[in-house]
Amino acid sequence: MEGLLFNVNNGYVEGIVRGYRNSLLTTPAYSNLTQCETIDDLKLQLGPAYGDFLASLPPNPSTSALASKTTDKLISEFRYVRANATGSLAKFMDYVTYGYMIDNVALLITGTLHERDTRELLERCHPLGWFETMPVLCVATNVEELYNSVLIETPLAPYFKGSLSHQDLDELNIEIVRNTLYKNYLEDFHNFVNTHSDMAGTPTAEVMSNILEFEADRRAINITLNSFGTELTKADRNKLYPTFGKLYPEGTLMLSRADDVEGVRLAVDGVHDYKTFFEAVSMGGSSGPGNMGGGSADGKSLEDMFYQKEMEISKDAFTRQFTYAIIYAWVKLREQEIRNITWIAECIAQNQKDRIGNFISVF
Amino acid sequence: MSGAADREAVFPTRQSLGIMKAKLKGAETGHSLLKRKSEALTKRFREMTRRIDEAKRKMGRVMQVAAFSLAEVNYAVGGDIGYQVQESVKSARFRIRTKQENVSGVLLPTFESYLTEGNNDFGLTGLGKGGQQVQRCRETYTRAVESLVELASLQTAFVILDEVIKVVNRRVNAIEHVIIPRTENTIKYINSELDELDREEFYRLKKVANKKQRDNAAADAEMKARREALEKNDPGALKQDSGPADILAAEDDDDVIF
Repeated sequence: MEGLLFNVNNGYVEGIVRGYRNSLLTTPAYSNLTQCETIDDLKLQLGPAYGDFLASLPPNPSTSALASKTTDKLISEFRYVRANATGSLAKFMDYVTYGYMIDNVALLITGTLHERDTRELLERCHPLGWFETMPVLCVATNVEELYNSVLIETPLAPYFKGSLSHQDLDELNIEIVRNTLYKNYLEDFHNFVNTHSDMAGTPTAEVMSNILEFEADRRAINITLNSFGTELTKADRNKLYPTFGKLYPEGTLMLSRADDVEGVRLAVDGVHDYKTFFEAVSMGGSSGPGNMGGGSADGKSLEDMFYQKEMEISKDAFTRQFTYAIIYAWVKLREQEIRNITWIAECIAQNQKDRIGNFISVF
Repeated sequence: MSGAADREAVFPTRQSLGIMKAKLKGAETGHSLLKRKSEALTKRFREMTRRIDEAKRKMGRVMQVAAFSLAEVNYAVGGDIGYQVQESVKSARFRIRTKQENVSGVLLPTFESYLTEGNNDFGLTGLGKGGQQVQRCRETYTRAVESLVELASLQTAFVILDEVIKVVNRRVNAIEHVIIPRTENTIKYINSELDELDREEFYRLKKVANKKQRDNAAADAEMKARREALEKNDPGALKQDSGPADILAAEDDDDVIF
């Protein structure tokens, strides 16, 4: 049924995004990139895909310049799609940007806490998380004002409300604030795709739930692994776990009690995918999961495998039709592509060719 | 180096000869001491040069690894964490203290790095993703800074040591090539002057002795002539005179010359 009226409003956008997906770099293209000797070669190889955006770069650009230019392409395409989206699709795309918005607001909070000029920070903000009223936040001179402006001016208000007060911004570590917001965001997004009348019961809900559940699990596992050896208590940690996902509730409960990597491994034992990740990691690297490569070229870290999995899920999203999820998937795929390009550029710039194959290519 | 001109302005006396000899001895002792110091410093200097070479190579490698680990962080986190890390740091975790090391009387500063415990200001950075990479990156950069500190310590010591070695070598050379030859020249000069004086004195004495002899001979001859003349005029008188003559009245006695 959902296909009947989908194309009336969203057919054009879907077509555009599928076109964008086809312009993503493929494995042969990546292998061409890895053969490059200099950044200029790389730039040349990227020509067909990124042409106009890389044209303004000086010869032998820095990797960060390359990354920002490739991001610019994503931004302009996203903005184009967003401009053509209507109704619930527009809302959906806004939701996609909220994640970046959280990062931006966290950045501004950090700046305000340390009494920096937050206007300078606007340049550092991720363009996808840009919202019109963001400069207003820079007017705030103390955390309380900022808190109030965030509540009024940004779409993130619901994520602050109820779980964070302005005192919390002062006292808690910014990472905890960020992760609390992100948890609320994921829960809200999950709720949105499953309850909105346009999406509930459609492939969108199905695919997006899958993606978001994976994202939630990944964050939970990462937070647990990264909190070992820090002052983050188990009770606080428990508050950062999203309340859905394949691990929820038993897995997250066990995660919240985990003291070491072994505890995490036990907690995720119930989910096949994660179990295989941990097995592969414990076989591959002796230095424990999370250590990217750990110095060896072929050993994949947990982080790498999560990215790989995310890319596969995103790729699978394109097998479904009449779904908004392809937009989310496309953004994620494109982000990974930018990361890959940056990685390859770094490897070339720093002459570390032995690790150059450490990127993730799904097409 | 013609010795004649290059000597100290002293009077050639036995006293100043003594002073000069003492000075020469002092200069020779000082020279050997300074020479040994310079050798010790040069040895140290060579070793330091080697260590600087090693440290520089090591720094190159470590910095490369560190820069690469930052690339890993950027890959894993997918964004810039620089600002957040800068802002969340409240106090320095990596500190250095300076110490002084004594190498044959030269004080060389050395820097020693240490980590303050329990000071992990951005331990939670990348909590959501990439935290492990952030921590690993921090560790590699800590190692990089360590090797930088080591290199800085060596370089500072290198510069100071270089200066000191130059000064010491200058002194050694000055003593060896200026002070010692000059003192030796002075001694030689004093000796030659003294010898000259001796010779003059000897000659003078000889002259005096000669003159005396001549004078005596003349006096003897005169006396003899007078006596002979007296004998001719009054032969008996002389005999008379000579026999019971008053001993006390003998006025013509010759001087006794030894």
